[in-house]
Amino acid sequence: MKRFLDWIDDRTGIAKLTREALFESVPGGARWRYVWGSTLSFAIMVQFITGIFLWMAYSPSATTAWESVYYIQNEMSYGWLLRGIHHWTAQIMVVLLLLHLVQVVIDSAYRAPREFNFWFGVILLFITLAISLTGYLLPWDQKGFWATKVATNLAGIVPFIGDDIQKVIIGGSDYGHHTLTRFFALHAGVLPGALVALIVVHIYLFRRHGITEAKPATRAGALYYWSLLGVVFGTLTALAFAFEENTKQWVPKIVCGAFIAILVRIGFLIRSGKDDDSPTRPKRDGMFWPDQILKDAIACAAVMGAVLFFVFWKGTELTPPADPSQPYNAARPDWYFMSLFQMLKFSAFEGAFGLLIGAIFVPSILVTAIFIMPLIGQSKKGHWINVVMLYSLIGGFVILTAMGFNHDANDEEYKQGVLNAHAEAERLNELIDINGGIPPEGALTLLYNDPKIRGARLYAANCASCHPFGGTDGLGGKAKDPSAPDLKGVGSKKWIAGLLDHNRYVSEEYFGKTKFSKGKMARHLKDIDMLPEDIEVVSAALASEAKVYGYSLPEGGQDFIDSGFDLMFEDFECADCHGIQGEDEGSGPSLTGYMSRDWMIDFIGDPTHEKFYGKKNDRMPSFLGAKQEDGTMKAGELSRKEVELIVGWLREEWPRASE
Amino acid sequence: MTAEKPEENQAAKTPSDQPDETARREFIAKAVSVFAGGAIVSVPIGVGVATLLGPAFKEGQGGIKIRLAALEDLPGDGSPKLYQVVAERKDAWTKYPQKPIGSVFLQKLEDGGVIAFNSSCPHAGCSVGFKSKEVGYYCPCHESIFLLDGSRGDPCVSPRGLDSLEVDKERLNGGEVWVTFQNFAAGIEEKKAI
Repeated sequence: MKRFLDWIDDRTGIAKLTREALFESVPGGARWRYVWGSTLSFAIMVQFITGIFLWMAYSPSATTAWESVYYIQNEMSYGWLLRGIHHWTAQIMVVLLLLHLVQVVIDSAYRAPREFNFWFGVILLFITLAISLTGYLLPWDQKGFWATKVATNLAGIVPFIGDDIQKVIIGGSDYGHHTLTRFFALHAGVLPGALVALIVVHIYLFRRHGITEAKPATRAGALYYWSLLGVVFGTLTALAFAFEENTKQWVPKIVCGAFIAILVRIGFLIRSGKDDDSPTRPKRDGMFWPDQILKDAIACAAVMGAVLFFVFWKGTELTPPADPSQPYNAARPDWYFMSLFQMLKFSAFEGAFGLLIGAIFVPSILVTAIFIMPLIGQSKKGHWINVVMLYSLIGGFVILTAMGFNHDANDEEYKQGVLNAHAEAERLNELIDINGGIPPEGALTLLYNDPKIRGARLYAANCASCHPFGGTDGLGGKAKDPSAPDLKGVGSKKWIAGLLDHNRYVSEEYFGKTKFSKGKMARHLKDIDMLPEDIEVVSAALASEAKVYGYSLPEGGQDFIDSGFDLMFEDFECADCHGIQGEDEGSGPSLTGYMSRDWMIDFIGDPTHEKFYGKKNDRMPSFLGAKQEDGTMKAGELSRKEVELIVGWLREEWPRASE
Repeated sequence: MTAEKPEENQAAKTPSDQPDETARREFIAKAVSVFAGGAIVSVPIGVGVATLLGPAFKEGQGGIKIRLAALEDLPGDGSPKLYQVVAERKDAWTKYPQKPIGSVFLQKLEDGGVIAFNSSCPHAGCSVGFKSKEVGYYCPCHESIFLLDGSRGDPCVSPRGLDSLEVDKERLNGGEVWVTFQNFAAGIEEKKAI
C-alpha cells in the first residue's frame, strides 16, 4: 500500500501539495473571525453541487423553464429540498460576502502586499451578485421576470451603448427563449467559470501572503461580540414570539434556543473573571489543520443549519409563470438589490438624467470607493476612513433596505399583489393536478383557460369599473366608484332575494346609481310590497333557473319552486313585463333561464337585445357586439371565450380537484 | 475549504509541552472536523443524488390499448404493414394529447386472425424493418433476421424473437384492430414489460 501511495506521490507530488494546503501556520492561533472566507468557499461549493443537479432537470425556454422548475419543486423526489438549498444558500452567501468584506476591512487585510487580493475579492463579490441576478430569472416566474425586466432596462440607459447592451443581454428586443438561454449560460457556465478561476488566484494570493493576524482576542472583545449576537438573537426571539401566529410552531423554539445558548456563553465569559484586557488564551501560533479547520467546519455546519432552517421554515417560492401582459404589483428585486431599488424612488433621481445618476453613476462611485480602499488604507488614518466609509455604506444599505420593506409592508397594492400571486400559484398547482400535467404550450394556458383566475382578471378589467364584487374589483383591490349592482353571488337565492327587496333594489348595492332605481320595476316592487316569505319562495324559483355552483333543491322540493312560479304569474304579475318559463316575452328582461350560464353570456353579450333591456339599457356595453339602428353590427370588446370565462367565474363554475 | 481530508494526515505531529493532552485535543479536533465536514458536504450531495436516482424508483406508464386499423385495410396476402402509435403521453411535466410513442407491425393471418409486433428490436432497441415475405423482418443495426412469425431467423444476435403485442379478439371480430401497445426490456431472453 505504501509503495502504491509513494508511486502516486512521485508522479503527482500530491503529498507535498496536501502538506502545504493543510500545514499552513496560523499566527496567533485559530480564531473564529477567520472563518468567513471558508464559509464562503463552502457556500460556493454547495451552489456548485446543487446547481449541477438542478441543471440535470432544468429546461431553459419560455415554455419549459417555469414548467421544469415546477416539476423539480413539486414532483421530483427531494427536488423541493434541492432547490430550497440552492435558493437559500444564495441568500446566505450574500450575507457571508458582506461579513467577509467587513472582516477584511476592519482587520486592514487589504494593506500592502495584499492589495491585489482585495481587488480580486471585490471582483468576486460582483461576479457572485451577477450570478444571483441571472439566477433570479431562471424560474421564469412573475417575480423573476419583472425584476429582471427592471434590471435589464436599467442596463439599457447606459449612455451611447446601453441599447445594444440590453439587446445583447436579453437576446433580442423582447424577452423570451434567448433571454433564458443566455442567462442560463451566464449563470451556470460563464460566471461560475470566472468565479472558479478568480477564487484560485484569490486563495493562491491569500496563501502567498499568509493570514492577516488580527489583534489578540481579549475577554472584553469576546464579550462585545457575543453581546452583539445576543442582541440580534434577542430581537429575533421577540419577533418570532410576536408573530407566533403567522409562523411555524418550531421557529420561535429554535430562535429562542439559540438565544439561550448565547446567554449561557456570555455567562461563562463573565464568570471566567480575567482582567478585561487580558487575552482569553495565551498567544500561540496554531496550524490550519486541525485548529482552524475545526472552527471552519463548525461555522460551515452553522451555515448549512441556517440554510435548512429557512428551507423548512419559508419554503422556496415559485410565483405564477411569467406573463408580460399581466402586471405584477409585487415586482421586487431580491432583497440585496432592494436598497438600489429604493434609492431610485428618491426625487433626486427623477427623470432620465436622474435615473442615469441613480442607477449607473452613484453605484459606480461606490464601487470605485471600495476598489481604492487599499490605497487609502495604507496609513492608520486612511484605515479609519475606510472603516467609517464601509460602515456608512452598510448603514445606508440597511436603512434603504428597511425603508423598502417598510414601504411594502404598508402598501395595500403590493400586499394584494403578493396574495394574488400566491393564490394564482396555488390554483395553478391544482389545475396541473386536475389536468394530469401541463399542456405542451406551457402552464400559462391553464391559467388563461381557468374561469377562477382569468374570469376574475377579465371582470376586474372590464366589469369592475361599474359592478363591484363584494365591494372589491374582483381581485381583492378596492372597487372604484361603483355605479351598478354588486355581482358577488349573482344568481344565488340570496342575491336574488336582495334584488326583490324594494329597499335594497334602490340602494347602491343593486340599482341605486342607475336609472332603474326610478324605473317600472322599482315602482312595482314598492307597490306589491312582498313579504319575506314571498321573497323566499320567489327567489327559490328564480335560483332554480340559475342553478349556480352549489345549487341544491330547497327543502320544499319542486313543489316549493312551482309555488314560487305560481306567485310570479298570479299574485305579483311578473309575467306582465317578463317572459317566464318560456312564456311570452315582455318589455322587461326575460326570466326564462334567468342567470343561467347561457342567459348570462347572452346578456353580457348584448343587454340591448329585446330579450333583455332593449332600448332601456342603462350604459351597459354590448360586450359581444350589437346590431346598430342602421342594421350594421358593432363589434364587442370581448370574445365569446372571454365572456364565458367571466360567467364561469361569477357562477363559480370552475374545475375542482375533488370532481 | 472544509472538505474531508485524507486520514493519513492525522498522524502529523505538532511540538507541545504536554504531549498527551495536546495529542488528545488534536485527535478530537481532527475527528470533529472530519465528521462535521463530511456531514455538511453530504447534505447537498445526498439530496442531489436522491433527485438524480428518483426515476429509478418510478413505475413505467404501462401498456395502452389503442385502435390501429380496420381489418380490411391490412394487406390480404399476409405481408406485414407498419402502423404508427400515437397516444396521450406524459413526458415529465408535459402532457401531450397526441404523441408518437412507437410503431407496430400488423399482419393478417390465413385463419383471419391478426398478429402484432412491436417494431423495436429486442436485441438493443433499434427499429426493425420488413424486408420481404421470404426473408422476413430485418434489423439493420446488428444484422438480425426475424421470421414472419416473429421468431429468430439466421443470422440473429437477438436473445429473443420479436415482441408480440396483444390483439383484442372481440373487436377484431367487429372488423377493428385494437392492440395493447407496450415496450419490453431489450437485451434479455425474458420478455419483460417496462
